[in-house]
Amino acid sequence: MKFNFHVSPSLRGPLTTQSIMKELTIGLMAIFFLAVIYYYTAFGARYALQAVLMLISSLATVFVCEFAFAKIRKREPMKEIKNSFGWVTAIILTLMVPISMRIYALIIATFFAIVFAKMLFGGFGQNIFNPAAVGRAVIFAAFMGASTDLVTSATPTTNIASQFGWMPYNEQMLDGFLQQYGGWKSLLLGTYPGALGETFTIAIILVGIVLIARKIIDWRVPVVYLCTIFVMTMIVALITKVGSYHGIPGLIWYPCLHLLLGGVVFGAVFMLTDPVTSPTSPAGRVIFAIGAAILTVLIRLAGNLPEGCLYSILLMNMLTPLIESLLDGKQLEVLPKAKKAFAVLCVVAVAVSIFTAMTLEPVSSLDKEAYLQTELQEEVL
Amino acid sequence: MSLFLGSMRHHIPGKKELTEKSEVLHLLPKKEAYIPLVQGRQLTFDILVEEGDKVEVGTKLAVTKGGFYVPIYSSVSGTYKGTVKRMHNSMRPQQHMVIECDGLQSRVQAFEPLDYRTATREECVDFVKEAGIVGLGGAGFPTYVKYGKPDGVECVLINAVECEPYITADYRSIMDGAQDLVTGCLIMQKMADVNHVYICIKESHPDLIETVNQCAKAAPGVEVKPVPDVYPMGWERVLVREVLHKEYGGLPAEAGAIVGNASTAIAIARAFEHGEAISNKTLTISGEGIKNPHNVVVPVGMPVKEIIEACGGYTSESVRLIAGGPMMGKTLVNDMFVIDRAMNAITILPHVDDDDIACLRCGRCSDHCPAGLQPVRIGEAVKMNDLDAMIQRGAESCIECGLCTYVCPSHINVTENVRKAKRVIAMKKQKR
Repeated sequence: MKFNFHVSPSLRGPLTTQSIMKELTIGLMAIFFLAVIYYYTAFGARYALQAVLMLISSLATVFVCEFAFAKIRKREPMKEIKNSFGWVTAIILTLMVPISMRIYALIIATFFAIVFAKMLFGGFGQNIFNPAAVGRAVIFAAFMGASTDLVTSATPTTNIASQFGWMPYNEQMLDGFLQQYGGWKSLLLGTYPGALGETFTIAIILVGIVLIARKIIDWRVPVVYLCTIFVMTMIVALITKVGSYHGIPGLIWYPCLHLLLGGVVFGAVFMLTDPVTSPTSPAGRVIFAIGAAILTVLIRLAGNLPEGCLYSILLMNMLTPLIESLLDGKQLEVLPKAKKAFAVLCVVAVAVSIFTAMTLEPVSSLDKEAYLQTELQEEVL
Repeated sequence: MSLFLGSMRHHIPGKKELTEKSEVLHLLPKKEAYIPLVQGRQLTFDILVEEGDKVEVGTKLAVTKGGFYVPIYSSVSGTYKGTVKRMHNSMRPQQHMVIECDGLQSRVQAFEPLDYRTATREECVDFVKEAGIVGLGGAGFPTYVKYGKPDGVECVLINAVECEPYITADYRSIMDGAQDLVTGCLIMQKMADVNHVYICIKESHPDLIETVNQCAKAAPGVEVKPVPDVYPMGWERVLVREVLHKEYGGLPAEAGAIVGNASTAIAIARAFEHGEAISNKTLTISGEGIKNPHNVVVPVGMPVKEIIEACGGYTSESVRLIAGGPMMGKTLVNDMFVIDRAMNAITILPHVDDDDIACLRCGRCSDHCPAGLQPVRIGEAVKMNDLDAMIQRGAESCIECGLCTYVCPSHINVTENVRKAKRVIAMKKQKR
């Protein structure tokens, strides 16, 4: 008879990190299959095959890197691979790149994501930056031109940024823009070319709701992030007095457009919620999310880049330790501090909205020549 | 649900069905009972009987030497055989009084009963002191101390929550003694000089609520408060938060409440009405590691080994034997200890090896901590051996309820990390 010693408590809950990652993987794969189906029906088998090939090569890179890393650290490779959940990074990264991305570029980006953004920090749980976001940033920085002959047109984000300065001012302009992507319905469903997985707004929201309901991700992050973006762009619409669209006032359709375009919904559900790189306390996560939203709007409307979601995530990852130390201590005692920080950020958000609204140059008629030029460009964004 | 705070509690499957409705076993020690000479931190006692003396149930055996005055009465009848040092459920060897049982359980009245309706408040408090009533919820704190200066106290909360999984001892005691519970409440009402006594029972026990409500009808000011089935609902702080919507610094009295356990109330009622000291304990013997889970009624000092035998023995060769519930109870490495007054359960679980992986910083521990701590951050401070951070992050406020370990998906012993921080802080304070 053996009486074992164990520190209390002797009971564990049913939830495991493995099951969290499993459910997250299922959610991501659902988005990936949607992408495969879309590219198959819209462009043919070659595109669908390319998407699958991209995922496989990214996954293979992750496994090879992790195997080598485990060997170097003299640990059991299979256990390490199983418990470091690198495949999640690979899937997210693949979903963030456009179909025209060359495989070698994706492999290098995956390598950077896993080795430099994760392993060098000490592996799973230790990394500061979201590995997938780092991988995407590598592509932004180094492989902008590395696209295949699978020609897709410019993504809506690039287009609206370069053509309309994020501000199609009247009905004609918006119609002109929407026509290229099949209108609102298409933007909602995601049936237009862009990053592989970021386009399926409705599907991502549905997966997000399931993950929130199953307590896999914290509701605070996506809700605060998306709501802040909505309110901020609403203020922008209000100040610039953007025109109504077939009866829908500007302060409704303009924020909606912001949420539908680019990677904000994808980022909100799958990347900002990454527990490793976000604060651990609920108050910290709220501040983290509102900060990311401010940066996203700022970069979109006042920065040089067409899309702000990615860099806002990376910048906020960097600020995570700061938020954590700001809110150090007993949560009930730091609650007033958290509320104060939140109020300050709300004021900053309003100020940023006003500032960007002032600097925006609304586009009410198109410079035809410039328009044609960008259309000819092979875009990777 | 708050934007800036987590739930600060969590539902844990109660597994109460294992013992709730099953027959209660009445057991007696086969040969000897060992009465622990332990009262909180107080370990020195004046022994009032001589070796070879005949003792009966209710004979005063010993009183504390220094510290809070607490007398100990015999729980069995037989012959006193001197003291022996043996394993106590606090995991340290302690002095126990050995009584060879005669199996008759003949009784003497430990003290004169008292009619609380005619006695003054002070008389009641003194009576409770002389009766040796201690908190039976687990802490074993002398009850009369709480009622010493009831200034600013507006109500008494009776904890009948029993939030630890598996344990149904209080449920059983109240079901069989609801009238005693209500009488105890009236006595506490008098001692605390308040109008309201709230008996807090989990919503998931409608039968219990109904039974107590029936008895409470005739008792003005005594009221049942159903509380949600979450852990750790039975912690004073969570109870005060739920029922009174108040936070406090040190003691619940700051929030205007005295919190007492339901079985303590029953013990008080029996002392006042029948002149009975705490002698028998109702305990839950449950868990997947025992063949026949049961509630048992045994005298204080009953060897655990004999109880286990009466419950059919262990189901596995490798178990965790826990004095108390699975969340806050301590595992003991043998079954040679005995039942002490503040114990209410023995939980036996099959042993499983730890399978912890790296922390993913999900923050579930911070979301659920009922004290509002950030266990993951305290764990980081322990890793860095950063004493100032451990203090700043409030490690000392941890009551080791174990919820952080329970919710941790990476199966890390989070509570143990906080415990380490507490130890480091305590050591540092001693040095100063």
